[in-house]
Amino acid sequence: MKHRLTCIAVVLVLGTTAIAQSVSLQFDGTAFKVLGWTPAASPPSGGWSSIFRVYAGTGDVPPLIGTYAVEQQSLVFRPRYPIAAGVRYRAVFDAPGVRPPVEKSFDGPARSTTASTHVDRVYPSAGVLPGNQLRLYIYFSAPMSRGEAERRIHLLDAGGKTLPGIFLPGQELWDPNNRRLTMTFDPGRIKRDLTSNRSMGPPIVDGRRYTLVIDGDWPDATGLPMTGTFRKVFRGGPAVREPPDPKSWKVAAPAANSRDALVVSFGRPMNYALLQRMLKVSGPRGEVAGAIGVEREESEWRFTPGSPWAAGQYKLIIDTSLEDLAGNKIGQPFDIDVFDRVTERITTTATSVVFEIRSTAKP
Amino acid sequence: MQYRKMMTQVTLVVGVALAAVFTVQAARTPAAAGDLAGGSSGLKSAGALAFGPDGVLFVGDSVGGAIAALDTADRTPAASAKIDVQGIDEKVAAMVGVVASDILINDVAVNPISKNVYVSAARGRGPDAAPLVVRVDASGKLTLLPLDNIKHETVSLSDAPDPNPAARQNPRTQTITDMAFVNGNVMVAGMSNEEWSSALRSIPYPFKTAARGTQLQIWHASHGRYETQSPVRTFVPYTIDGQQYVLAAYTCTPLVKIPVSDLKAGAQVKGVTISDLGSGNQPLDMVPYKKDGHEFILIANSSFGVVKLHADNLGQYKPIDSPTVVDVAGAPYDKITALTGVRHLAQFDAGSALILTAAGGGGFGPAVGPMSLRTIALP
Repeated sequence: MKHRLTCIAVVLVLGTTAIAQSVSLQFDGTAFKVLGWTPAASPPSGGWSSIFRVYAGTGDVPPLIGTYAVEQQSLVFRPRYPIAAGVRYRAVFDAPGVRPPVEKSFDGPARSTTASTHVDRVYPSAGVLPGNQLRLYIYFSAPMSRGEAERRIHLLDAGGKTLPGIFLPGQELWDPNNRRLTMTFDPGRIKRDLTSNRSMGPPIVDGRRYTLVIDGDWPDATGLPMTGTFRKVFRGGPAVREPPDPKSWKVAAPAANSRDALVVSFGRPMNYALLQRMLKVSGPRGEVAGAIGVEREESEWRFTPGSPWAAGQYKLIIDTSLEDLAGNKIGQPFDIDVFDRVTERITTTATSVVFEIRSTAKP
Repeated sequence: MQYRKMMTQVTLVVGVALAAVFTVQAARTPAAAGDLAGGSSGLKSAGALAFGPDGVLFVGDSVGGAIAALDTADRTPAASAKIDVQGIDEKVAAMVGVVASDILINDVAVNPISKNVYVSAARGRGPDAAPLVVRVDASGKLTLLPLDNIKHETVSLSDAPDPNPAARQNPRTQTITDMAFVNGNVMVAGMSNEEWSSALRSIPYPFKTAARGTQLQIWHASHGRYETQSPVRTFVPYTIDGQQYVLAAYTCTPLVKIPVSDLKAGAQVKGVTISDLGSGNQPLDMVPYKKDGHEFILIANSSFGVVKLHADNLGQYKPIDSPTVVDVAGAPYDKITALTGVRHLAQFDAGSALILTAAGGGGFGPAVGPMSLRTIALP
């Protein structure tokens, strides 16, 4: 019996040595394979990961997670997540009897090197921002990477010195495509009488010049820097404390049967993003479909109907959450002075302005 | 010891009916996690974390505008143990095949039953970043939760998306800044990327019995004079003199107490500022605890480091009824200078906290790895 076992062992050792010489590792872009080694029908007691692992990092790190399969008599590992650019993957096959263990490195796809992303535009577009300016919208030409805004966006004073503590830290408010970033000036510095307001003053001071700088080396979503640094020069203006009042707006109604734009002038710049969805037009046949335009440094809203205006009475329906640049809502200042008994606090969610579309004599 | 004296008035205007939400929950039995259905969680991002009953982990999805309740199936009680994982970002990156700088860690939470730690993160920094939730056990082993096949329930916080895929995508998002499970409700603080709002939402759990829950409008009045709507950045349930409160930190700085029991339909509830940690700072996470017969709150801050607030006398701060009352008091606090680079903080057990620290960054800058996850004795 003992002699027989020895013979089997010799055969196995000879066999595996022969196999080890031809074992190789292959990567086809999605899966890692062990070639030249025939896996058993079932995995070893420690699972396939006990003999075949792929690492995407160095040092004391766990292996890549994924699934194992035996396909066409080869052991195959498919990573759970796609192969990433700029990463080196190290596959290690270490089965009993295969000596030395087989190891091979593979590189993920190369990163593109041609930068094309840039800052498209910034709102407010005006050259003068109120001292209690609340938010900025930065539009990028392509999706950007998160987690970078705090070190890539700066406000410089007239002497080119970076001003500290301007924006709310730790909050990156993106749209779902990472193409529009909303930055909030530190509200603790804007709200009157708070500790920050008292000790640091407002972020923007009336009469001073500033430069908003957005670094060109901010990587976009593909990891590439932008094509260049963006700068916007502006001046601080007086704080705006009075809430917007639709009764003071000018509504220029177009003629019936035309597709001319309805033009609403606010008398002050308003929040660009909110102008896209907080004003609606309702007419004799219900809500009017059309296209929105925002002009004159966000102080004018133009609405072009999808079909010609019919004569009749219309309403401009205004969501009272509509804000100006300083976060003042319709009928409600950003920070309400409760000593000021004149201040009206609107609690409804919508208000409206009525206007008439009149017929004109046909030529 | 440093301290500041300040007391300001907070007014909560209850926007919609709240009647039953905070009053009957104590009698409710939480749904067994085993009742949840399997399948893809549908998470588009994994942000704020909070544990509910029975090993259920609530995950805030700011990108998808939803909250998922995941059954972690992690219900084996364990004695407290230490956690110490160096380079957690590097380890997670290696598991999912990216470089460490492509892992953004968003939050940490401790399963109160098993004491296992859960970390939410993103694989990638772009709009297609994949959500990750990783379990870390006492041995330091990392396990990725299978978000594509896990028992879960989801509640949407936003309007249904346009069924027409060609329609213009709504750029408005509501970023979930913090969550907590309070009396059978998931309370959710958030910030819009468009209007300046102050929504604090309360959603009864299990989700199937309720829609999006109720919503509070929170106001902050400084020095009894200027009132402002104020989004909440972080908050934690807390009991003062037998009464339940939410301790909340506003984006505009102060730390306030909001009495939960007074939140009834149509009521205007006045809360009180208990401390102000100073200008240019944002509280990130809070852990209340007791030690040597005294109450404290450990607070991690964006730029002010970690502080230990003395909380024995929070009950003495009363709502200010008159706008003419000026600031008169504030809870004292100590700076814990031995703790640096703390980005997240969570309660681990009665005597220890879990911290996520970053080797670099700090101040107003983003965290820079490598990052470490470890338990510390509460100071």
